Amino acid sequence: MQIEYAKFPWLSAILFCCVAGMLAIVFIPEERKTLIKKVSVVFSGATLALSAYLFFAYDKGVGGLQFAERVQWIPRFGIQYFNAVDGFSLPNLLLTGIVFFTGVLTMWELENRVKEFFALYFLMVAGVFGLFMSMDLFFIFVWYDVSLFPMYLLIAIWGTTRKEYGAMKLTLYLLAGSALILPAIIYLFAKSGLGTFDVAALMHPGTFTLAQQKLAFIMLFIGFGILAGVWPFHTWSPVGHVAAPHAVSMVHAGVLMKIGAFGVLRVAIMICPQGWQYWAQLMAALATIGIVYGALVGLRQTDLKYVIGYSSVSHMGLVGLGLSTVTPEGLNGAVFQMFAHGVMTALLFSSVGYIYDRTHTKAIPELGGLSRVMPVASGYFILAALGGIGVPGLANFWGEFMVFIAALKVYPLRGVAVVLALVITALFMLRVVQRTFYGPENPRWSHLPDIPFSLGLPRMILASVLIVLGFFPSILFDMIQTATIPFMNGLLR
Amino acid sequence: MIAPFSHVLALAAVVFTLGAYCAVARRNLIMMVLGVEIMINAACIALVGASLRWGSLEGQSFVLFILAVAATEVSVGLAIIVYAFRRAGSFDPDAYNSLK
Amino acid sequence: MTAFWSDHATLPAIVLATFAPFAAFFAIMLFTRGRPRLSARLSIGAISVSLACALYLPCVHWRMEQPLEYTAQWIASGSFSIPFGFLVDPLSLLMLTIVAAISFLVQMYSLGYMAGDPGFSRYYAFMSLFAWAMMSLTVASTVLQLFIFWELVGLSSYLLIGFWFEKFSATQAGKKAFVMTRVGDASFYIGLLLVLLHMGNLDILELGGPKATESMSPGFITLAALLVFGGIVGKSAQFPLLTWLPDAMEGPTPVSALLHSATMVAAGVYLFARLFPFFSLSSTAMTVILAVGTISMLLASTMAMVSRDIKRVWAYSTISQLGLMIMALAAGGWFAGVFHLTTHAGFKALLFLCSGVFLHTYETGDIFELSARGGRNLKIPALTLAVGAAALSGLPPFSGYFSKGAVMGALSGLTNPIWALAALVGVLLTAYYSFRVVFVIFFPGSGVAESSVHSHAAGEGHEGGHAETYRAMAWPLLVLAGVTLILGFFEAPLRGFLFGGATAPEAHESVYALMVHYAAIGLGLLGVAAAWVEFGWSRAKRVGLVERWSPALANLFAERWFLDHFYRAFMESVIDKGFASLAHWNDRRVIDGTIDGAGRRTIDAGRRTALWHLGAIQRRLLTTFAVVAFLALYFFL
Repeated sequence: MQIEYAKFPWLSAILFCCVAGMLAIVFIPEERKTLIKKVSVVFSGATLALSAYLFFAYDKGVGGLQFAERVQWIPRFGIQYFNAVDGFSLPNLLLTGIVFFTGVLTMWELENRVKEFFALYFLMVAGVFGLFMSMDLFFIFVWYDVSLFPMYLLIAIWGTTRKEYGAMKLTLYLLAGSALILPAIIYLFAKSGLGTFDVAALMHPGTFTLAQQKLAFIMLFIGFGILAGVWPFHTWSPVGHVAAPHAVSMVHAGVLMKIGAFGVLRVAIMICPQGWQYWAQLMAALATIGIVYGALVGLRQTDLKYVIGYSSVSHMGLVGLGLSTVTPEGLNGAVFQMFAHGVMTALLFSSVGYIYDRTHTKAIPELGGLSRVMPVASGYFILAALGGIGVPGLANFWGEFMVFIAALKVYPLRGVAVVLALVITALFMLRVVQRTFYGPENPRWSHLPDIPFSLGLPRMILASVLIVLGFFPSILFDMIQTATIPFMNGLLR
Repeated sequence: MIAPFSHVLALAAVVFTLGAYCAVARRNLIMMVLGVEIMINAACIALVGASLRWGSLEGQSFVLFILAVAATEVSVGLAIIVYAFRRAGSFDPDAYNSLK
Repeated sequence: MTAFWSDHATLPAIVLATFAPFAAFFAIMLFTRGRPRLSARLSIGAISVSLACALYLPCVHWRMEQPLEYTAQWIASGSFSIPFGFLVDPLSLLMLTIVAAISFLVQMYSLGYMAGDPGFSRYYAFMSLFAWAMMSLTVASTVLQLFIFWELVGLSSYLLIGFWFEKFSATQAGKKAFVMTRVGDASFYIGLLLVLLHMGNLDILELGGPKATESMSPGFITLAALLVFGGIVGKSAQFPLLTWLPDAMEGPTPVSALLHSATMVAAGVYLFARLFPFFSLSSTAMTVILAVGTISMLLASTMAMVSRDIKRVWAYSTISQLGLMIMALAAGGWFAGVFHLTTHAGFKALLFLCSGVFLHTYETGDIFELSARGGRNLKIPALTLAVGAAALSGLPPFSGYFSKGAVMGALSGLTNPIWALAALVGVLLTAYYSFRVVFVIFFPGSGVAESSVHSHAAGEGHEGGHAETYRAMAWPLLVLAGVTLILGFFEAPLRGFLFGGATAPEAHESVYALMVHYAAIGLGLLGVAAAWVEFGWSRAKRVGLVERWSPALANLFAERWFLDHFYRAFMESVIDKGFASLAHWNDRRVIDGTIDGAGRRTIDAGRRTALWHLGAIQRRLLTTFAVVAFLALYFFL
């Protein structure tokens, strides 16, 4: 694979912004809450700006890995600090930047232990950024765990519903995942005979035999799949979403679940493509069940965040289905869906955050008539819900479209089932919208203010990303293609 | 050397066994510490005997260090026991089971 | 020179026509939500621009021979690419003009109807969104693009039906409409994806051509055609997905007029006409479609016969007329279907807008109550109502007569006479139920004469207070009534326009066809006469035929053949209480139960192990000594 080294360490600069932001927050006195928030906005904004710069500076004509930086760390074990990005990771990098920045803005009204919250939040996002840009298996594993541990504290301290249970469940599940990933990584390291953790070197065809690929792939798929909410390992995700504070839910559903899918793509699929083809049927079956099942369970939920949690299970199933088709369209659709779903979910959680901060309830039966009280805040939620339904004009439509094409091509019957699941998704999303926002004005909430412009800003950013990509999907598709097409061509050859 | 080395070793073994019995069987924390001290002393006897047997001074200097350490250990140990007694109201080692 | 000018102005005109309302939508949503009058002006300004462009285009392209297509690359992925573009041909221009004209009239009408509503700005924003989506749908160059706007039309319909979102029934109806059409759309989606996979593109012009037959087997074409038709069934409210349309009447009446009569539901028929060559490739599919159209037409007519709500009667009649159009198209009468679509858009919008005036004035939709409270005193609405009903019943010289004649001509061309017969029954029923409404409102009967005088005064006062409102609502009625009167006489020019330079195929004028034609007129008059006997003349019993003959049958009709009950039962017992509950139970008990159980077992095991490590420090010491002693024995002895 072609690697282009960068003159300036742009990728490390992103990580540096996260770490520097965290340190800066640590050294600000506890009481100066506004200053802490401002510093957070500045540093997270810097990461967004950097990732956006990289997204647009990437040379699509050349493709391959760009902005690479490589430092030997433990040469004896072939561990390197090796960062590089391609068409698969750049959308995710940008997504992380967007969700990170808007998440900080969403938590603007936080008053409880502000300093610790933002410090941990920065640490978590540093892990996420690191994972998306790292091309070294060892570092991928390290970043994976770096992003998990702050999550536990963030949920257990600042969470809401059954927070200890949710935090513990999430952490244990994800550690179970990493317990599968680590042996698989070591197995790959040992069997390759190259003495390196370098993904670009390991993915060279012929490095592993079919039997090795099969074994490594299934371990990696389940290990990362747990994080991606693959059925039946999904139950941590709704519980975790519900328990987490808003910004953490945003990062959690918006980005962290993408880490799982990205891990499957970057590590499992790219290093073990034959194992991928071997296990594709299983992946497709689990994904299809997840899509239909998530939508069905979503129908029965009465908590706003649970509904979103199960819709995430359903939507991440689409990503899994796209990945399982072994076609360029499927990969395109999966990566696009990862991005679109990340933005959409972040918007949903962000809007729920505003509503919860005002009403202090997420129970759908208690809400109702909010559209009259806070039309703008409701509007954001409805917009995101429509995105989740797959209405054209919003980004999700394109991801779903590509996945459907690929699915109908490879697994016609499952494709049909998945398209029909869209109807159920529409049903439960609209039911939530109807019960929460429509109906007569509830006197309990009629004194509440609508969202002011400043607080609406993060939602506005997310909403405009959804709309812009809905109309100009090629911004993202052209980027993803630069990675998909060479990879699939190399595979078929 | 008046006594043969084997006698010294036998004495050390007897003292060690007594100390071990004291540390294991007595139902009092202070007596347990005492038992530990006796075991240390048994080791000291063996060391002194050995240094005489091979005509080397390292054994004796080692014993001096051990005595110093044992003294500090006893002082710290006793202090802990006093504190523990205040908390639990008992010297019985079985009373300290809050880990359960 | 003209050609040059037209070639260069066509694209900007289309772009302007479609995007002006979109810009208005965004402007209203972002900036002018708090300023209703400005919002309305923006929206109406945008739709006027669209209308001007839409009127300009057919004039330029009156004699167009080749369809024009403007496309640009949109996205490319793997083995196929998807362009974005505009297709300009007589059919799309005709539909564009209809949509723009009706939207314009309805928006003007809404100035009166919606005056003072708290969501006035939002209303106009959604109206603009709808206009954009619908007009873009008509000029879409690929089926995928058409589908995208098709969905957006569905979305704006959802928003507009549930516009008064404080009313539970309105939000319920909106949701029902969205989900039900979504079922059809899922079928359409699968169909178009299958076609895309086999053909590599979805160009509308190529779909009916030789490329389609080359790349797909006949059985596959039938399958794809039927799947695509599923979308039409949903959007045009055909059997079995027809029950959302009457419920959709919960929205504001102008919305019903715009979406659920003239434009949105007509999108289904438009799609059929658009893909007519493709559907024609499969005769099996055409027969199925013909049957679906017939069933919908008859079912909806029976429902309309017993409905007491004026808007619901027109909603049922819409389903029935759409069924008739689909029958015509499926019978091969392309022009007949499109022509009926055109005339129907005019007179159905007229009927709904009339009902809107009644509703706005008396705040009830029940025809008997309207009649009792002196509905006939609203002169203009009452008169135009009669005009619309006459057109709907196919009475000469109104526009409906000509288009129904064309439809009958198409149906009589079929070898099997059953379709024509069914259509004739439909004509009879249509005439009966439309004039039932007219006569009930016009002749309140002797028993209620006094109260009529009373509420007449009240009505006058009401009306007097809102003279301006009334005027805003009245003139679109007159325009539409005028159109209804004269449109029928433009059949020949329209035919010439639609078939372009090619000579239009002449209708086959056999004796049989003439018989059917006269039978249709006769049955229409018979229907009117029956309605007169029952509701019109002074000694009428004012009870419908069906109610007298068999209350059970009337109930069956009123309950929409129990389709709704079936759907609700299916939703509740199979989806909600069945699969969803099962999945939910599985999630909590089986998956979470296993996981939490495993966690609990682990904790228990830990507790038990911890017992070994009770404080007993001396026991541990003893163990240590014993182990060391045994090790010493093992190593040294």
